[in-house]
Amino acid sequence: MTRITTAMNPAQVLDTLHRADGYFITNTARDMSQSDYKNRILLHTDLLAAPSRDAAGYFSLEITGGASVHVDILRKQVDPFLKLKLLREQMPDTLFQTLCRGVNLFGYRPYPQNVIRLTVREFAKYVDVWRTFDFMNHVPNMQAVFEEVAKAGKINEPSICFSTGPEHTDQFYVAKVKEIMAVTGDEIILCIKNHGGLGTPKRIGDLVDAIKQAYPELIIHYHGHNTDGNDIGRITAAVLNGATIVDASDHAFNGFYGPPPILSVIQTLKDYGKTAIDINEDAVIETSETIHDQRPYYEQFEAQIKGFLPTVQIHKLPGGAMGSSLEQAAKGGFLNKMPDILHHELPRVQKELGNWWSVTPGSQILWTTAVGNVLDGERYGNPSGDLKNLLLGKYGPFPFYSPADWIYEKVFGPDWKEILEKEGGILEIEDMDIDQERRTLAERLGREPTEQQLVTFLQHPNDAVEFFKFEEKFGKSYVLPPSIFLRRGGFALGETLVFQDHTGKEHLIEIGPEQQDKKGETTIYLNVDHHQQIFVFAPEQQAGTKVKVSLSKEEIAGLAKAGDIRAGFSGNVCEISVEAGQDVAVGDRVAILEAMKMQTPVVSEVAGKVVKISAKVGQALQPGDKILKIDPEKE
Amino acid sequence: MKTKILVANRGEIAIRIIRAIQELKFEAVAIYETPDHESRHIRIANEAVWIGDGPRADYLNIDRVIKAAKRVGATAIHPGYGFLAENPAFARACEEAGIIFIGPPSDVVEKLGNKVTARRIMAEAGIPMVPGTSNLPAGDAGLEEARAFARRYGYPLMLKATAGGGGRGIRRIENETELHEQYSIARTEALAAFNDDSVYIEKVVINPKHVEVQILADASGKTVHLGTRDCSIQRRNQKLVEIAPAFHLAPDLAEEICQTAIKAGKAAAYFNAGTVEFLLDSDNNYYFMEINTRLQVEHTVTEMITGIDIVRTQIKLALGKKLLFNQDDVKLRGHAIEMRINAEDPQNNFMPEGGKTLSIYQSPGGYGVRLDGFCYQGFTVPEVYDSLLVKLTVFGWSWNETVQRLKRCLDNFVIAGPKTTIPFYKNLVQEPDFQNGEFNTSYLDTHQQLFEYREQKSEASKLARLIAEIHHKKQNIYAA
Repeated sequence: MTRITTAMNPAQVLDTLHRADGYFITNTARDMSQSDYKNRILLHTDLLAAPSRDAAGYFSLEITGGASVHVDILRKQVDPFLKLKLLREQMPDTLFQTLCRGVNLFGYRPYPQNVIRLTVREFAKYVDVWRTFDFMNHVPNMQAVFEEVAKAGKINEPSICFSTGPEHTDQFYVAKVKEIMAVTGDEIILCIKNHGGLGTPKRIGDLVDAIKQAYPELIIHYHGHNTDGNDIGRITAAVLNGATIVDASDHAFNGFYGPPPILSVIQTLKDYGKTAIDINEDAVIETSETIHDQRPYYEQFEAQIKGFLPTVQIHKLPGGAMGSSLEQAAKGGFLNKMPDILHHELPRVQKELGNWWSVTPGSQILWTTAVGNVLDGERYGNPSGDLKNLLLGKYGPFPFYSPADWIYEKVFGPDWKEILEKEGGILEIEDMDIDQERRTLAERLGREPTEQQLVTFLQHPNDAVEFFKFEEKFGKSYVLPPSIFLRRGGFALGETLVFQDHTGKEHLIEIGPEQQDKKGETTIYLNVDHHQQIFVFAPEQQAGTKVKVSLSKEEIAGLAKAGDIRAGFSGNVCEISVEAGQDVAVGDRVAILEAMKMQTPVVSEVAGKVVKISAKVGQALQPGDKILKIDPEKE
Repeated sequence: MKTKILVANRGEIAIRIIRAIQELKFEAVAIYETPDHESRHIRIANEAVWIGDGPRADYLNIDRVIKAAKRVGATAIHPGYGFLAENPAFARACEEAGIIFIGPPSDVVEKLGNKVTARRIMAEAGIPMVPGTSNLPAGDAGLEEARAFARRYGYPLMLKATAGGGGRGIRRIENETELHEQYSIARTEALAAFNDDSVYIEKVVINPKHVEVQILADASGKTVHLGTRDCSIQRRNQKLVEIAPAFHLAPDLAEEICQTAIKAGKAAAYFNAGTVEFLLDSDNNYYFMEINTRLQVEHTVTEMITGIDIVRTQIKLALGKKLLFNQDDVKLRGHAIEMRINAEDPQNNFMPEGGKTLSIYQSPGGYGVRLDGFCYQGFTVPEVYDSLLVKLTVFGWSWNETVQRLKRCLDNFVIAGPKTTIPFYKNLVQEPDFQNGEFNTSYLDTHQQLFEYREQKSEASKLARLIAEIHHKKQNIYAA
């Protein structure tokens, strides 16, 4: 049998999956990065791993989507499209997989339909398998994505989000699968998305079995997290009951909240007589050996609490949100309140709000509400906009039951029924004027953006522009290894940094001395490809100090036209030719500045009355310093 | 005891003179004001005398300089350029103190320093002159006379301080409104700068070339020239680039101009080294401008093409030696170009960048390259003096070779800290008109594209900047 590669079309891939005797593995690198390293694993590391990952024979590499698109531009300073393009060059065979949040795409709130479609079209140029979900399991929220993926000739992998509790029956989930297939048809892979790593192996085995009973031909892809340390048990049960693909990740970087180690999955299932199809175990091992020495640089991004958390079965936080939640608790100084939040308030809020699925953006709503309830002391006293939208049904109908009236009353006040009546229902978002957005971006960039830049901009407008500006200033910094890009505490004097730029040209930078002058300006000397270069840094602004504003020539000229006359260059005032209250005409000399032996008259560009004289004769002025002000005559 | 010569100047020219003094096996005495305490001219001199806190006032203080010379027992004083170099009172004070002034006698300095007297002497000697007035009377009468001159010769005009020189105290007047506006400022400025508010006006020769002739004369009146220099590339009437010999000048015209320069020198009973400046219009008419009675900044280009050490010759002539060579012995070979590398921002109207520290100073070298500078890595450019850091002079056998050598030197020059004129010069040496030797005094005005340069950052530099920031902030704030 042939290995599944990018050379196959979706029908061939599905056909191969159907005929398989054994199971396939998805290397869930993105989810591992998100769950255990706050999404910070750099492209540099993924490129190091690329050849052996490509040789390992995975069904797919999950390498984009989730929060990673945002973090790519915000914290990794890499273009999310370029990242995929470069990985594709190193990994010609392996399918690339994404995690898409339906209407929320890779963000936290619903996007307009035309933005969703454009985004999927652009990403589908690189992404072969589209795992799509909705935190309310509300199928219409995923429909636009399904349609665009199918149009692009890529593989749809709709998800049923999984959770536990009395409402979460096999019956419910089988019905959900039916609902999905009514929209997508049966040329899909179905994902059981166990983002919290919830339930026992038995529970997962039963669920897979129930779905397989109802849809024997359906390919099931089990996705889980190892937060409680037991995901290999669940994976085993899933495969034994008929799941065809399972998620795991490279052991060199395994933490606590992401997927479990690939190799352990393979070894466990082997004893049950289940073969990991196409897997090259040597290549799996080689990947971890290749990137193992990179791990220490990422330690700074590991969760504040380390160790498995079997209590996830109580609080149900998804693995992908563990790191960021714990970080927020650490930064907010309420780590000590975590037991109360995680073990009491969060499960309570979850039940009160309808026991749906704790996954983005719902998990953030639950978390924020629970934290607020504990820290504020008043439950639901300070509801977020997202909680209000949720209660109004903007994100979809409650799957099991609606929250109690008292919560509505607490959040919306006594008139809550009218408000719900008037504003309730699914959020209708108008299409965006994408051409207008393109013009806006062009204006902010000062050049015509590419289609991909536009798509990135449409996801996160300000962060995208910041990123594009970062690239202009600092170049393509994804070439830097984590030992440089993520270095803390500075470099050692004489340390030599070697790297290749994006064109493949090798560079050598040697760290030279650092000097601080009396004004607090720091000068850093670097030898860049054997040429000395210096970099000057202004002193750190102390809180409360007045920031000296420097004006450009154009700004100074512009102010002069409004009667605000400032020094155009540095020089001494040798004459103030007018007095306050005096009327001046256009072209009248108002002052004389002297610099470099030359006296230069300063003339008024407006007719009006001198209202304020700021400069004194003999005073040394810097460009932009105030000389005097003229109140222009009204036309 | 060894003969001591005091150098009454600072910066690069002080070093240039100190070198000549030491090569003649004399001892060089430097003077300095407080802001110059880091200047290299102090370090290489055999002895240095602090003359006050300045700034500038003590270098201009005749008493203090003479006292310093007497205290160390100096036989002679070389004034360099600027400061006291063309001040007849200083030359006279030297003469009265029994110290040799390395330059012409005080009366020659005086009459040539007064532009009006100089013009009269030259006119009498039959030297071609630009039409102009005598000193204008004070007040409205002066303005009226200026207006009358303008009616006859038309605008534009040059309004000049009689006691000015070296591009100082000169203003171009385009119309009557400007004449009214500038007239009183010019007088005030002249008074402040030269302690003499006399001004006069001259007709403007449109877009001339600035051509000057270096002359040397010994006490017997024997006068030779060292060929021409073209100093047309100027900003605000101050030279930026100087070339020897003047390029694209027909040999017989060059010879005629040089002979006129000798005639002018003789008419003024000139002694020691001097420069006769002419304006050359597009029809090859040339007009006398002035005689500079001092060593010029740009003397280096002449030294490069003649092989004659002008400063050494100046000292020997002042000490009573005769000129040991004749006109026929002076051979002009090849081409030389000098660029004044200033701590200035060409993109901001050449505003000086004083106060900044040279964190990197790496200079070029090699065949045909000469550097006359005074700064070094770690040196802070004083804010109170002019902004010249170093003169880069190159020699080549052909014009093209010289230009390419210049380009190579500019590419190899690394100065970090203050902005400099280097990026502007890099543009200049690649500009086709310059490369073809086609330029006159309007060159900068008509080639504004020279100011459009942006330092293109290489990918390595951009990444280095990020690395510097990660280093400085102790973390990557863009990844935090």
